[in-house]
Amino acid sequence: MPISDNVIETNDLRIEFPTEDGLAVAVDGLSLAVGRGRIVGLVGESGCGKSVTGLAMLRLLQPPGRIASGSILFKPDTNSESVNIAELPSDSEQLRKIRGAGISMIFQEPMSSLTPVYTIGEQIAEAILIHSQISKREAHARAVELLRSVGVPSPELRAGDYPHQLSGGMRQRALIAMALSCSPKLLIADEPTTALDVTVQAQILELLRSLRESSGLSILLITHDMGVVADSADEVVVMYAGVVVESAPVFDLFDNPLHPYTKGLLLSIPGAAGRVGEKLRAIDGTVPDWRNRPNGCLFEPRCSKRVERCRIERPPLRIYGDSHKAACWVISKEHGGADAD
Amino acid sequence: MPTDILLEVSGLSKEFPVHAGLLRRRIAVLRAVQDVNFSLRRGETLGIVGESGCGKTTLARCITRLIEPTSGSVKIFLDGSGIDILSLNGSELRRYRRNMQMVFQDPVGSLNPRLPVREIVGEPLIVNRVCSGTELTNRVAELLEMVGLSGVDMHRYPHAFSGGQRQRIGIARALALQPDLIIADEPVSALDVSVRAQILNLLSDLRDKLGLSLIFIGHDLSIIRYVCDRVAVMYLGRVVEVGSASGVFAKPRHPYTEALLSAAPIADPAAQRKRSRISLSGEPPSPLNPSRGCAFHPRCSYAVDGCRENVPELRSLALDSSAACIRAEELVLRGIS
Repeated sequence: MPISDNVIETNDLRIEFPTEDGLAVAVDGLSLAVGRGRIVGLVGESGCGKSVTGLAMLRLLQPPGRIASGSILFKPDTNSESVNIAELPSDSEQLRKIRGAGISMIFQEPMSSLTPVYTIGEQIAEAILIHSQISKREAHARAVELLRSVGVPSPELRAGDYPHQLSGGMRQRALIAMALSCSPKLLIADEPTTALDVTVQAQILELLRSLRESSGLSILLITHDMGVVADSADEVVVMYAGVVVESAPVFDLFDNPLHPYTKGLLLSIPGAAGRVGEKLRAIDGTVPDWRNRPNGCLFEPRCSKRVERCRIERPPLRIYGDSHKAACWVISKEHGGADAD
Repeated sequence: MPTDILLEVSGLSKEFPVHAGLLRRRIAVLRAVQDVNFSLRRGETLGIVGESGCGKTTLARCITRLIEPTSGSVKIFLDGSGIDILSLNGSELRRYRRNMQMVFQDPVGSLNPRLPVREIVGEPLIVNRVCSGTELTNRVAELLEMVGLSGVDMHRYPHAFSGGQRQRIGIARALALQPDLIIADEPVSALDVSVRAQILNLLSDLRDKLGLSLIFIGHDLSIIRYVCDRVAVMYLGRVVEVGSASGVFAKPRHPYTEALLSAAPIADPAAQRKRSRISLSGEPPSPLNPSRGCAFHPRCSYAVDGCRENVPELRSLALDSSAACIRAEELVLRGIS
């Protein structure tokens, strides 16, 4: 994969929410990229800024939330020009086209993303009609085809169902069908399986992987579940309190986590292999409150490896080896860090 | 009957009538829990796993009589003799209920936002007239310290605490009456991954220190495996398999258990991507119209004609291993090592 061929990349992105109590910084200098045809897992705990990052890519931040600085470069095709989504006027035609036909998004709770008063078929057809010049009948036929392609059984019948008539897994499939209706280049999947049972989760993850195989779709998979990442992602970006603390190809990340937070996160998961009876190694403390964010490393107050420097200066993301990046002052010298870009 | 049994649940069922239409006629019966049998030893942790709607929460609430079971018995053995909780009323019920306390999933919804922590944790002590005044204050401080909070926290209100801390408050409240049994219904599902481990460690420490028995309801298999000695797997209101945690995970005896284990992702990409998956077709059917015979047969790849005829009984297959599958002996099912 040529390094430059990213469907989307953010550079030094900062997202703020002005509140009565002061300025809440949700995302603080975030740089990440999704390569063409790749599945990138964006992991972190609640409030770390992962969902807000996804929303910012579609300029769907709820005001007063705003992109304060940085860029979001979207490049629909290998040879096309990249567009800085962060700078597009919010009512521009270009942004409207990107939403749906360029980038689309699915959410955790499929029921709240569907309107209860129209059938599934009508809702998918509507998305198609907005973005293309075809007849209603053709749009409906396309909707049925999409439902079939995401594994909805008897799609002709299901297209006539209202959302409440479908199960959670089927609703999520319908939502994926809608997200795919205008052949987007990038799918942002925000906790797509969190509300689903494990057996259904396995089906939806399999569907996402097969869509990538069949249509080269790039996927940003936002999740808190390391199991989901281990299952489906090619690369992983770990966020903590609004910053990226580590990013690496999936096997590297799990075999050789560098950042103390990533290590702690992996150790605090009850291991599937062995370890029964052994105590879980919990990370002490909690995520810092946005009102008093540490000046240095954001993980410093909870970190068992901290040194004086961690409290004073925030560590930059540095590169270790080919493509493994981590932001930590105390990663041992043997990994030989160099400043990333 | 071995004397170390604390709780014995037999034939427990709960039906909810479904009403509809202008006259609110009863149109169907939803069988949320059907003929559940299991026993729990002192100091043991039993996990109850299953997907949403399988009846695990209803089962927990029936055991504590937060909802009234339709039939069956729940015997608790204190000082050697068993008493059926379902036969008790009023003050007697309250007295026995002190021995079993619940911890709930939602640490926000299960704490009254208008009460300071002292009142929340002390409420069971006040209601049961165990203590009051300074004695109450001291006991609450002791309980808070037991769950890793500090005594001064008792004057704060729930909103001042993080999710993990709120769950600690919920646990302190459950411990207030020194119960023998704690039923924890998805106690860590609403918490962040890094905080989950803290709460799981706390629960297992308290269990060991206080000699508690624990019923741990969950859907996350890796957590269940970590916390529990024995596991009961539920599907559509019935227990389909029960056995030692190590046995159930390594060598499942019911096809549904196998599928559940296969679907739960392992947080290790190398291992996870090598696994052969059993993908279940379809989704759990509605408990309003379960299929004839074994409820799992429409999704089961091992189903034979016999599965469509009768509901299979939960049979003992080996020491501490039972499954409700007519083919349990002949099938060789895959677990996780």
